[in-house]
Amino acid sequence: MMTTLVRTLLACATLLITVILGVSIGETAIEPSVVFQALANKLWAAGHVLDPIDEGIVWNYRLPRALVAAACGAGLATCGVILQSLLRNPLADPYLLGISAGASTGAVLVALLGVGAGMVSLSAGAFLGAVTAFALVMVLARASGPPSGTGQIILAGIAGSQLFNALTAFLITKSASSEQARGIMFWLLGNLSGVRWPAVWLTVPVAVAGLAVCLWHRRALDAFTFGVDSAAALGVPVRQVQCVLIGCAALVTAVMVSIVGSIGFVGLVIPHAARLLLGTGHARLLPASALGGAVFLIAADVLSRTLIKGQVIPVGVITALVGAPVFAMILIGRRNAR
Amino acid sequence: MSAPSVLNCCDLNFRVRDVELLSDICLEVHQGETLGIVGPNGSGKSTLLKLLAGLRTPTAGEVRLAGRRLDELSRRSIAQHLAVVEQQADTDDSIKVFDAVALGRIPWLSALSPWSDADDAMVRQALHDVDATHLQARRWCNLSGGERQRVHIARALAQRPRILLLDEPTNHLDIQHQLSILQVVQALPVTTLIALHDLNQALTCDRLAVLERGRLVALGKPLEVLTPQRLRDTFGVQGHYLTDPFDGARILRLRSDTKGPGRIVQTDGRNILKEPAC
Amino acid sequence: MRLHRVVTLITALGLCSQAQATPTQYPLTLENCGSSLTFQHAPARTVTIGQAGTEMLYALGLADKVVGTSLWFNEVDGKYKAQNDQVGRLADNEPSFEAVIGKRPELVAVELEWMVGPQGAVGTREQFHELNIPTYLMPSDCEAKDNRVGADGTRLEPFRIDSMYKSISQLAEIFDVQVRGQQLEAELKASLARSIAAVQKNQLQPPSALVWFSSAQIDMDPYVAGHKGVPDFMLKTLGVKNVVQSDEEWPTVGWETIARANPTFLVIARMDRRRFPADDYQKKLAFLRSDPVTRNMDAVKHGRIIILDAMAMQASVRMFEGLEQLAQAINGYDLSP
Repeated sequence: MMTTLVRTLLACATLLITVILGVSIGETAIEPSVVFQALANKLWAAGHVLDPIDEGIVWNYRLPRALVAAACGAGLATCGVILQSLLRNPLADPYLLGISAGASTGAVLVALLGVGAGMVSLSAGAFLGAVTAFALVMVLARASGPPSGTGQIILAGIAGSQLFNALTAFLITKSASSEQARGIMFWLLGNLSGVRWPAVWLTVPVAVAGLAVCLWHRRALDAFTFGVDSAAALGVPVRQVQCVLIGCAALVTAVMVSIVGSIGFVGLVIPHAARLLLGTGHARLLPASALGGAVFLIAADVLSRTLIKGQVIPVGVITALVGAPVFAMILIGRRNAR
Repeated sequence: MSAPSVLNCCDLNFRVRDVELLSDICLEVHQGETLGIVGPNGSGKSTLLKLLAGLRTPTAGEVRLAGRRLDELSRRSIAQHLAVVEQQADTDDSIKVFDAVALGRIPWLSALSPWSDADDAMVRQALHDVDATHLQARRWCNLSGGERQRVHIARALAQRPRILLLDEPTNHLDIQHQLSILQVVQALPVTTLIALHDLNQALTCDRLAVLERGRLVALGKPLEVLTPQRLRDTFGVQGHYLTDPFDGARILRLRSDTKGPGRIVQTDGRNILKEPAC
Repeated sequence: MRLHRVVTLITALGLCSQAQATPTQYPLTLENCGSSLTFQHAPARTVTIGQAGTEMLYALGLADKVVGTSLWFNEVDGKYKAQNDQVGRLADNEPSFEAVIGKRPELVAVELEWMVGPQGAVGTREQFHELNIPTYLMPSDCEAKDNRVGADGTRLEPFRIDSMYKSISQLAEIFDVQVRGQQLEAELKASLARSIAAVQKNQLQPPSALVWFSSAQIDMDPYVAGHKGVPDFMLKTLGVKNVVQSDEEWPTVGWETIARANPTFLVIARMDRRRFPADDYQKKLAFLRSDPVTRNMDAVKHGRIIILDAMAMQASVRMFEGLEQLAQAINGYDLSP
């Protein structure tokens, strides 16, 4: 049987290969040899003579995009796992807490109404919107039931999301020219086209830190299998764990959504796929979901740029188009596994 | 002289939205005993167990575990002392039975003491004790209600607690498993609090606590507590004791009480002439 | 010189046609973008939606007939500042339907179909026509263009300059200023001819260009001119190839594709609107010079970046000035490899 070390090495190798694929395939065709030479030049100053535009594209456009896609995919999948486990609901995903809806409202306020007078960037506006929506959802959840109840968190999240989505729609219809509306829709559906190295330095550490925090609590997450009372009876400080993990999920999701917009299905489908393949122990489920999310999103980004020549489809559309049938297959697989 | 109390509560009150579910409960559990909790539906048995386990916070009064207040202890140290088997705990995850029982070791695991062979052995022992060893590779969704209950009990046993709280653990079990679970539970060297419906099964406990509408109305040995008067007043049934010639054990024969609470009252049109005695 | 002869000929023709300008016969009926408009007399009160229409009316000397303007992209052309100051501005962007009809206009001149049209942001044409307010849509936005496809519409055929002249002559007819209309047409045609002649066509290979309007975020894929619209027409007229192939009016194309296409020039838009940070042409320049890929493009390295007013890239009278500006700039560059 494979030891943990071998499994970890295999996982890292898979991730590396997928990142390299993501760097090699893009809108325009660049020879693989050029791609490797460009990477060699930047990583260990190999000194190959290359067109600076090609080198720049590989190192400054494609590589950051692949890395951010990996980080976002991993982050969203991890958040999906812990929300599904904590809230005991297989339909929970990172956006349940109102975060994506709030981010959309924040982004729209900045982009369409010029709130912040040009000082606040789209991403910053989205982040603030996400955090505000999350805070409101938590207040609503707390006000509507027992302290650790999972049912009202879900309902409050749905209510909050509906509210902020409605706000977003209102703002778009009232104030947007078609061009602005198109710009913001593109962003809302998920878009990796603007990411450069600064986004990498933000998203990768956040994803890694988020995964680390969740892994630290892997046994506590296992304890929630039979419900909140059961977890408490097994020695888990339920309120504290819920606060830390839900807060962590909210923060990671808010950061990811503010950088790349709301990419759906990753946080919902990848955890289920991982559960189907690996079972329910969080010690394996969390890293596997993170890896699955990373690979999935890199692949989706590559598809979004190459499916139609000369045009970029928003990444969120691809994840939905792929994610929906995959989700259906998983549900059928679960029924057959019984 | 009585054994030292490992778990006790004093003036325990629990209220939810203006409804007093428990009032002024004072209870001392002695080490090594099997204390049964009986009472009609809605009398507060589950609530009492949850409060004693620290799963809910009382509105007034306190619970003490080995002399220390429950709210001063960390959940982890409580879990190392106490294990709870709930009435209803279910999951949609397709978890394997072995893993479900292994969850019981969580209070003992940490970064410094990860899963070891000793933990494996304890899980297997727990499965053996509830006669579920043949189920260990099965998935949760494929188990019957009774099998699930046994796995819950195994999980509590794997926790190696000093005190075991069980909330109507024999509800879904067939008669063979009902009796064998009770036997297992009684044979355990741990202190046990068990909420029961079946009054005959309750006779096998060391002591019984009778709850009625949130109040503790009787506490003591089963035969002293379950008097025909008590049976009529609290449970609304007629009962008397028989001695089984097979082994000399006392068993309870119960009949429905046609003059129980809820019978027709006699009035003269304005005043009630005869009230039901309850 | 051929150039002088051409200019003289056109001006002469213009002067001739002046003598033949006939006054409008009312009631006047004309077809405009699928609707039939009838005028009993020259409108005395006009509301404009779209800077192109506004400045066209000013160019025809009709500023006193305009009672409200809206949808502005740049500062008004200096020539018309004095007159524009007398006219109330209903909105910088799109006005509300009630604001428009509150002015009791006898004509609404509309630059873009998505302002007043089947999915009009202000209203539908029927809404105005029900109130007996005719709406004049500029033919450049509705002829051979499907505004339902693509965010700013998609051209079914390349933009033709004739639709501009048609706007001028139709508006002149409506307002009974035919003389001035023909004069304006002649001036514009002369300007066009000058621009064409000015560009020296002795390159071995036609230069290429990209027209960048704005971007949702400065790093994100930019909105650039498609290959059938007005900016493309301007480039083609001057013998320059547009690197963008899409038929959409303003498609988004990735910087990777643009950088590898490596156009000879870049044309960037200057505007007063500040909805996106990239609206500011200074930010566009800063991006081009600092981004590690774009700063290696030939156009950026050699400083071949032309800044044009946003109005000059649209179907308006300023387009002709834009053409002259482009021609001058192109001449100024040394294109030897």
